[in-house]
Amino acid sequence: MTAALQGLGRAVADQWRTPAGRAAFEGHPLSSIAIALALVAAMTGCLSIGTQLVSLRHLSTAYLIPVVIAAATLGVVPATVAAIASVCATAFFFYPPLLNFQVSDPQQLLDLALFLIVAIVTGHLAARVRAHARLAQDREQEMEALYRFSRRLSEATDARELHATIQDHLSELTGCKVMYLEDAAAATGLPLAVRSAVAAFAAAQERASGVSVQDEQTSETWLICAAFPEAPRSVLAVNLGQVAASTQARVQHRIDAALADARATLDRLGVMRVIGDAKLREQMETLRAALIGSVSHGLRTPLASIVGSASILAEAAPIRSETQLAALTAIVRDEAERLDRDIQRLLDASRISSTGVRPNMTWADPADIVNAAAANQRRRLQGRALTVQVADELPLAYVDPVLIEQALCQMIDNATKYSPAGSPIRIAAREHEGRTEIAVADDGAGLTEEDRSRMFDRFYRGPHSSGTTGSGLGLWIAKAFVTACGGSVEAYSAGPGRGSRVSIILPAPGADTPATGEDLDD
Amino acid sequence: MTRHAPNVLVVDDEQQIRRFLRAGFQLENCTVHEAATAADGLRLATLKPVDLLIVDLALPDMDGSEVVERFRAWSKAPIIVLSVRAQEEEKVRLLELGADDYVVKPFGMAELLARARAALRRHAAGLPGEPVVRAGPLTIDLAARSVTLDGRPVALSPKEYRLLQALAKHAGNVVTHSYLLREVWGRSHTEDAHYIRILMRKLRKKIEADATQPRILVTELGVGYRLAVDGE
Repeated sequence: MTAALQGLGRAVADQWRTPAGRAAFEGHPLSSIAIALALVAAMTGCLSIGTQLVSLRHLSTAYLIPVVIAAATLGVVPATVAAIASVCATAFFFYPPLLNFQVSDPQQLLDLALFLIVAIVTGHLAARVRAHARLAQDREQEMEALYRFSRRLSEATDARELHATIQDHLSELTGCKVMYLEDAAAATGLPLAVRSAVAAFAAAQERASGVSVQDEQTSETWLICAAFPEAPRSVLAVNLGQVAASTQARVQHRIDAALADARATLDRLGVMRVIGDAKLREQMETLRAALIGSVSHGLRTPLASIVGSASILAEAAPIRSETQLAALTAIVRDEAERLDRDIQRLLDASRISSTGVRPNMTWADPADIVNAAAANQRRRLQGRALTVQVADELPLAYVDPVLIEQALCQMIDNATKYSPAGSPIRIAAREHEGRTEIAVADDGAGLTEEDRSRMFDRFYRGPHSSGTTGSGLGLWIAKAFVTACGGSVEAYSAGPGRGSRVSIILPAPGADTPATGEDLDD
Repeated sequence: MTRHAPNVLVVDDEQQIRRFLRAGFQLENCTVHEAATAADGLRLATLKPVDLLIVDLALPDMDGSEVVERFRAWSKAPIIVLSVRAQEEEKVRLLELGADDYVVKPFGMAELLARARAALRRHAAGLPGEPVVRAGPLTIDLAARSVTLDGRPVALSPKEYRLLQALAKHAGNVVTHSYLLREVWGRSHTEDAHYIRILMRKLRKKIEADATQPRILVTELGVGYRLAVDGE
């Protein structure tokens, strides 16, 4: 029976842990008195069974149990009520004359008086212990919530995430759903009545501390109030739920207090700075996109004019007949094309580090990829032998062929730069352990161990690169493109001065590889 | 270029691009009209005779695809799109909408003229293309449905022939994968890109000197294939 009472006490105590549960009790002090009386009644029941089995003399002591439970879980008033009720119950049920509040035995009268004093003092002490425990528990929870909140704040990368964090924190603190609205325009999705109230509130010059509005459809009450003084257009919309008009003012007051608390906390944590940072990051991203847009248009368009014009000049009879002029025209075109490729490389690098690569996957023939890259580079490799060797019947690969081709072009470009003028460059595609390998080999300076391990890093330029121009981006871009398609890159060299070989390993064709058999034909 | 001096309409918002295109086409005895915006271009196209439309993909006032679509609504004249790299999907979309070919900026005039000649020749002959198409050692007689390589007949399966025929009808210009899939297999297989790759391998083995390095049936990565015709 005591266990049952303890269980009940624990259940009541558990209720205290949640703000809503606590509010339920604080909202109805009568209910805690009712629980206290119920505890006394339960004890009376136990004792009446007990007295039938054995004779109990000072059974009033047993009533200390409900009194202490009431004190520890419900507070001092219910405990006092429980003490008085216990005295009455003892007098009524157990001390003769039975079923009468009169007590005939003076010793029993003294007994009851003593009990009442002890019970009230004990109740008081227990209630104080409870209050202390509750305070400590509250503080612990608050610290925990604050810690979680500040951690999430520091992890937030953009304004939206930040707003969600603030919303969650305020919701937890107030026990109601809180929406943080950057401005009135962010109120989309809220009920119409709330939206117009938010708009009116945000537009008002002289602001009240908060207004409440009722949504007709759900009959929920919303509280609209200013969020932070630093962000004058921001608004908090709090869904108070379906509260009775009588308790609304009280709930509103509590939320106001919680929000004021939260504002102080947010201030302490430098939330406004974080919000500012997030805004700055967003603006930088916009600026970067605009810059890339203007670079690709503003720089590449004139280059297209230069290349086009030079190509017409090169065909003109007066220039064709003059070898030197023809050579100059070729330089104009070649250099303009080189500049265009450099810009493309910067754009690619910027795309990789900002939005990432989005491959357009399809079934592609590795031979087509190799031939396209070779055709792309051949015009630039005049005077150098570019040999292409593609094995028969290579399996189709599921990749973005354009990305792989661009990666291969970067590798050929690299091989051209770091091998002696006139030395041959060899491209070979073959099947190796079930996967297609496309390798670019040169007779250049070769690779050191450090080159091998770092050559696909961004901005890495090898020790032999002092005499050539380059950004250190080419192979890094190649690797990013190939890995985006599920492939990998490798580098091999027999040693310094003995040439090098970089290769693209295409992803292995999976189980759903299309058949290359005859069934496709009639 | 062809029998009469063709009228070329160049729509590009960059003046310098228009200038070199004008110079390049005038050297080929074409009459050139220019427009800086899509709206101007479309208006000009209704006022002047247009045999060839050169249109930039990125115009300030209208999407390139819209220009192609509107022009195609009332004119069969060839359209060549000027695009930038890494817009393969956009290129395919424009080709599907009725553009005949594209060049990627920066491009040499010779490249654009080769595309333009092929498109103009096909248009002048009236669809569906010339009855006999020659590409290096390869001769395709579309009327007689016969294919010869260095004068010797080549035996092709019906699907191989349909693939070659679709490319020959657009000789010199790019043909998209989905168009080829429709032409060879019909509507139901337009997503099966690997069908076309495998069939193309077989066809190349019968036609190309080295099937791994084709000279006649050229791949346009991410877009489609092109039948490379002589002297261009």
